[in-house]
Amino acid sequence: MNLFLRQLLSNGRFRFSLILILLLVGFAIIGPMVNHHNPLFAVGGRFDPPSSKALLGTDVIGNDVFVQLMYGIGTSLEIGVIAGAVATLIGVVIGTLAGFLGGTLDELLMGLTNVIITIPTIVILILLSVAVETRSLVTMGIIIGVTSWPWTARAVRAQTTSLRTREHVDVARISGVGTVSIILWEILPYMFSYIFMAFVLQLASGILNEAALSLLGLGPDNTISLGKMLQFAIQGEAVRTGAYWDFLPPTLLLALISFGLLLLQSSMDEVFNPRLRKV
Amino acid sequence: MNTFQRYILNKLLWYIAAFLVAASLNFFLPRLIPGNPVDTIVAQMAQSGGTEGEARRKIYQTYMREFGLDKPLLVQFGTYLSNLAHGNLGTSFGNYPAKVNNLIASSLPWTIALQLPAIIIGWILGNILGVLAAYRGGAFDRVAFVGSLALSNLPYYCLAVLLLYLFSVAIPIFPSFGGYNPGGTPNLSLTFMLDVIQHYTLPFLSLVLVLIGGQAVGMRSMAIYELSADYVGYMRGLGVGDGRVVRSIFRNAMLPQITGLALAIGSLVGGALLTEVVFSYPGIGSTLFTAIRQNDYPVVQGVTILVTVAVLGANFLIDIGYGLIDPRIRSAQRGER
Amino acid sequence: MDELLRVQNVRAAYAVGGREVQAVEEVSLTLREGEVLGLAGESGCGKSTLATILALATKPPLYVKSGQMVLEGKTIDLTLGAGLPRELRGQLISILPQGALNSLNPTARVRELAYDVLKAHRPTIQRSEAYELTRQRLEQLGLPARVLENYPHQLSGGMKQRVVTVISTLLNPKVLIADEPTSALDVSSQKAVVGLLKTLLERRVISSIVFIAHDLPLLREIADRIAIMYAGKIAEIGTNHEIIDAPKHPYTQALIGSILVPEPYVRQKRVEGIEGSPPDLRSPPSGCRFHPRCKYAMPKCSQTQPPEFGTPERFAACWLLEAVKS
Repeated sequence: MNLFLRQLLSNGRFRFSLILILLLVGFAIIGPMVNHHNPLFAVGGRFDPPSSKALLGTDVIGNDVFVQLMYGIGTSLEIGVIAGAVATLIGVVIGTLAGFLGGTLDELLMGLTNVIITIPTIVILILLSVAVETRSLVTMGIIIGVTSWPWTARAVRAQTTSLRTREHVDVARISGVGTVSIILWEILPYMFSYIFMAFVLQLASGILNEAALSLLGLGPDNTISLGKMLQFAIQGEAVRTGAYWDFLPPTLLLALISFGLLLLQSSMDEVFNPRLRKV
Repeated sequence: MNTFQRYILNKLLWYIAAFLVAASLNFFLPRLIPGNPVDTIVAQMAQSGGTEGEARRKIYQTYMREFGLDKPLLVQFGTYLSNLAHGNLGTSFGNYPAKVNNLIASSLPWTIALQLPAIIIGWILGNILGVLAAYRGGAFDRVAFVGSLALSNLPYYCLAVLLLYLFSVAIPIFPSFGGYNPGGTPNLSLTFMLDVIQHYTLPFLSLVLVLIGGQAVGMRSMAIYELSADYVGYMRGLGVGDGRVVRSIFRNAMLPQITGLALAIGSLVGGALLTEVVFSYPGIGSTLFTAIRQNDYPVVQGVTILVTVAVLGANFLIDIGYGLIDPRIRSAQRGER
Repeated sequence: MDELLRVQNVRAAYAVGGREVQAVEEVSLTLREGEVLGLAGESGCGKSTLATILALATKPPLYVKSGQMVLEGKTIDLTLGAGLPRELRGQLISILPQGALNSLNPTARVRELAYDVLKAHRPTIQRSEAYELTRQRLEQLGLPARVLENYPHQLSGGMKQRVVTVISTLLNPKVLIADEPTSALDVSSQKAVVGLLKTLLERRVISSIVFIAHDLPLLREIADRIAIMYAGKIAEIGTNHEIIDAPKHPYTQALIGSILVPEPYVRQKRVEGIEGSPPDLRSPPSGCRFHPRCKYAMPKCSQTQPPEFGTPERFAACWLLEAVKS
């Protein structure tokens, strides 16, 4: 593990993307600690330009954009992490069970996975979001998570089938170790890096899905996120008014976060799958 | 029945299953909302005023009849499926008594007119750029590749926002709103057409750029892979001209790209929802957005089922096409060696 | 036998990451009418690179630095590389690729390639004409004509390689450069391909073959003369008998010793092969390139490159032979 860590840190693209992500996370954690304004509380007029009072000006209803950003990044990241965790958990459970047990169960689970993959994600997202009474941050994360696990399940199943025939797995099986224990101790540790990379991808797509839902008016209630900031900016005509301080920060941050996470994932892939390095 | 037919039938059954799952989600999920949806919507209408006594009762009856709310849930589902089979998507809550079919019919052409050319042009330009990058290599490749990678990784609505600001606000050369000037009425005059094209440019660009990026990245790696294939060296060694070698490379590299095209066309309806929201473009996306704000479930359901059918249909066609084009798949189905 | 082809002073290098890696160093060869010239050596010795150069199919990152080829009185400047007229390939000199490679386009029928090859050299040919020509050729050589309609995956490995052989010789090229055509084939398929090559020679479809192999027993079967390559240079050349039965270069001896011992009790040796590995061509050893692995190495060997002792027809590049001479 230490060796991998050293290899990872010697990869320039990994260091760059890691620092980028850590800066954003740090901003989201430290910001709310030093700031005591309520982000949903107006501090000025409509579209006040940046000033010493509001570093990034105000939005359409006079909220401080900079303060909103501090909370918005946090909310987006939290939703992304919940979505990523839910999707990865479901994906790993279904993927390992299908891959390890095989047979009818495998066919059944993969059939379900394939059916859900064929239905466009946005459709399920919209229907679920419409159906819930209130969309809290956690609900949003779960909704996004339960719609995006199939890709992880498929990939984890493929990994599991190849690990299943390894010697140490056979040894464990012959020694009478139970299925769950074998999966937990003999299979999962060998694809930890793989699962982590899948999680990073799910995290990125979770953040973008939150933004997409928010833009359709299905964002989280009673809180601020990057997607909701962008939605308010668009609905409040910030773009057409020329209030760049209102719409540019969430737009660029969304692009930056997704870019950073994708770069993080691809640089990890490079280290863990050295065959790719040549290209 | 031969194996190819069995393959198609097998695929067809999968897609029917997927459709049924989607239709069930479409039907049951909005019914999870507490309370009778008709009561809720009629109460909302009453609050916003306008409809009184007798009229309200009529609306109430229309919806009760349409949904069969007095009947068991499974019977309602049956009614829903049979309505779907007849292409009847119900009556809008928000714009009573407008039919969902008509609402969608009036906005779908805008979406198709925006998306279809963007997809086809983006696909063609992206593939050409990808092949050129793979062939020419060097600085051209690096610029094209990094540019394409950046474009394809940028969320498409972010690019839309940036373009909208840059070219209609910062440098006001394009209109920022709608599909045509609010004063105009749609007709076939030259001035109206020019107006439409002006409004069309930015949403179109925002879609086409992302597509070019995505296609170019895919085509480049496919072409590089094919270029190093053994048969390319062999054909060269036999003195076959570049033109004919490139044709073979193209054919093989295009096969997966055609899947990309079909998938893009499948996501045609659902792929640009947010572009339309950003540009206030009068397509399916704007219709969906309004419907969500108005809790207009029949319209939301209509749009989602349409998006689903488009994607499932495209996937099915790809599977058939693959079975027909690729001899490896075709014979794998037949079990030849 | 008359001389058919001659290459002189061929030097070639790969441009890798801004550096040049010398892959072929001062190679001269002659090829006579009707003969099979074997070319052997460990992997990485430059034999496949030389094959590419002889087949006039070099392309970046491989560059020919110097050298020319004389074929039927015509002089061809090999340094032109990719700039050489493509019509020469397939018509004058043709290539028969390694059996392990996927030399056929997986999504095209065999007849498509046959048409492409014929069309490339006879622009006016019709499809039907091309198919008919190929069909006749296949039948003359005892191969089923139905393969024309087949896709590569429908052919067995051995059949695929025989079909490739027929396509490579469709235009009756003077010289066929066969680059390990039988590697990765089972024994009976190997025999079939070798048999087919012999038939092509006997019937004068082709005039001569350069047969590249790492497999000396196979070369003993088919080659008239054998050249042994080491680290981009020809270490020794001679007739089949001279090389197999009286090798002079320690490398040739080691190669034969490591491969040609049928007795079971020396299996051990076989597995060992030659001690050490071929040199890294990015920084080849000074003097004789074989000296770090040579058990007869003398001080001189690490200082000066040995010249070719003997005649152009029968030489070995080793300082030991100087002592014998004097």
